[in-house]
Amino acid sequence: MSTATPVTLQDSSRTRRVRGGSASRPPVGAAPLERSRRRMFWAFTTPAVLIYVVLFLVPVGYAAWTSLYKWDGIGPKKWRGLKNYQTLWQDPIFRHSLTNTLKILFVGGILTFAFAFALMLILREMNRKLFARSVLFFPCLVNAMVFGIAAGVLFSPTGPVNKTLEALGWSHPPQWLATEHLQTMILGTLVWTATGYYTAILMAAVDQIPEYLYEAAELDGANAFQRFRHVTLPMCWDVISVCAVLWTVSSVKIFELILMYGGSSGSQPPSDSWNTAMYVYIEAFPTASTPQLGLATAAALVSLFLVVVFTVVLRRLLRRDPIEY
Amino acid sequence: MTSRTTTAARRKRKPASLPMRIATGVVWVVVAADIALIGWILLTSLRDGTDILNHPFGAPTHPKFANYSKVFSDGGFGRAALNSVLVAVLSSVLAVAVAAPCAYALARRRNRVSGAMSMTFAMGLGVPGQVMVVPLFIGMAKVNLDDSQPGLILVYLGLAMPFTVYLLTGFFAGIPQVLEEAAVLDGAGALRTFTRVILPVARGGLVTAFLLQFISAWNETLFAIVLTHSQDKVTLPVALSNFVQEAQLNGLDWGAMFAGVCVVLAPMIALFSWLGSRIIQGMTVGIGK
Repeated sequence: MSTATPVTLQDSSRTRRVRGGSASRPPVGAAPLERSRRRMFWAFTTPAVLIYVVLFLVPVGYAAWTSLYKWDGIGPKKWRGLKNYQTLWQDPIFRHSLTNTLKILFVGGILTFAFAFALMLILREMNRKLFARSVLFFPCLVNAMVFGIAAGVLFSPTGPVNKTLEALGWSHPPQWLATEHLQTMILGTLVWTATGYYTAILMAAVDQIPEYLYEAAELDGANAFQRFRHVTLPMCWDVISVCAVLWTVSSVKIFELILMYGGSSGSQPPSDSWNTAMYVYIEAFPTASTPQLGLATAAALVSLFLVVVFTVVLRRLLRRDPIEY
Repeated sequence: MTSRTTTAARRKRKPASLPMRIATGVVWVVVAADIALIGWILLTSLRDGTDILNHPFGAPTHPKFANYSKVFSDGGFGRAALNSVLVAVLSSVLAVAVAAPCAYALARRRNRVSGAMSMTFAMGLGVPGQVMVVPLFIGMAKVNLDDSQPGLILVYLGLAMPFTVYLLTGFFAGIPQVLEEAAVLDGAGALRTFTRVILPVARGGLVTAFLLQFISAWNETLFAIVLTHSQDKVTLPVALSNFVQEAQLNGLDWGAMFAGVCVVLAPMIALFSWLGSRIIQGMTVGIGK
């Protein structure tokens, strides 16, 4: 392999350490690269680590701390312990938001991956697949507000979709944007925009599977489904498990799509369509009432907890022995 | 390899079964629907409200560029577009500039400290934004950076760290070490090796990291809504959401609303048609492998 030289260079210092030699003082002339790297390590990492700690990790810690207080952001903080979490649990709006979040996570996830897999399999056999993949991928680069607003016009009671349906003879087309349908519409839009992205990831993974495996499988008489089951699936399992984690994180933080869906009715969307991210936003930055920062950060931590639990569980469930090829 | 793949694919494609042909047809319908939707949004931005209501799918008979002048003047989109460019470009440049040396150090030095550090950065990938939104809002107010572009840039810089470091670490790890050895033999120190040898070689990865961060900063809405509110400080997503909400009160002007949507959308179309494959690669290979 092309990395033969560096491997021996690194190995020599490692063997020395193992044999009891001093790693901090290598023999003269040995691995000057290693020495200068050690010196540069902290200089190179400190700025990024500092920014990460101050602007990312400290805020996360601060959120955890705030979640134990009752606070409007201006007056004094009042200790509440875990009572904020108890309040959340009893708040029907939060429970509904949490249900919505879980619905997006599970139903949305299953649909997205089912479509992404189907698309990946079809695209592989298609002409001009790169063009099709690019078009299907594009929606994930667009601010979700755009689709929320567009849906508001397309699906409005007298909008293009209903007019078309009426022209086709459907006299009473559904009220797409009525509160009871909003969740489903949001979910559908989400699945549609996300599918292209996961299709592209899966295709990238599948394209790396060496062709001879398929040829061998074909020679052994495996049909298309068996080739998928015994070659494609195991070979891109790692990527699937990363995708599942990725979906968990991104589905929990969906915000602008819900905020703007249907062109937003007034200052905030109806609470039936909220997810936990929306709940955090509305509790922390309400238009009419006092901010409830403790409750909001507690809700945010519930969503973080959700991500952590799912990530751990998914990692467990999807773990397989890595395959070398 | 590629030639073998294509011949194999071609050979497989010849006896396309009926279900496969139907499936392919469905995929093309979806592709066409995607293009039609984007096209419809672009066209609608040039029409006036009543026209859209009566003939939703018609072509703009008299292209109304007034929709655009309306959002730029009444909606404050001119200033907002400028802010969006400023915030997205600066935060992405800074994110890459800060993350690159760190990612390089993490990719090259493998021990317990660097392992723990990489792990800590990777953990950040799993934290949803709403967790940090209240603390950052309060923190920025404390240091008088609320409702300001520097504040928003700093916030985006912090949020960018996990992914940018993660992506670039993978990228640097793929650069052969032989290059540095040659540089060291020529007498270059680590800093000089990094700036003169590694960075030029890594240009592709740095551009990809910049692009992905630019795209996410351009579209970011939650922090922008929370952290900016003055007319001259907001970014495009905030301006758009304000415009839509005001339009709800004053009666919808669909044409102008879609002009606003297009101001947010158009740069992504331009960027994607120019650098599409690089963007897809960055977002897929960076995650997938």
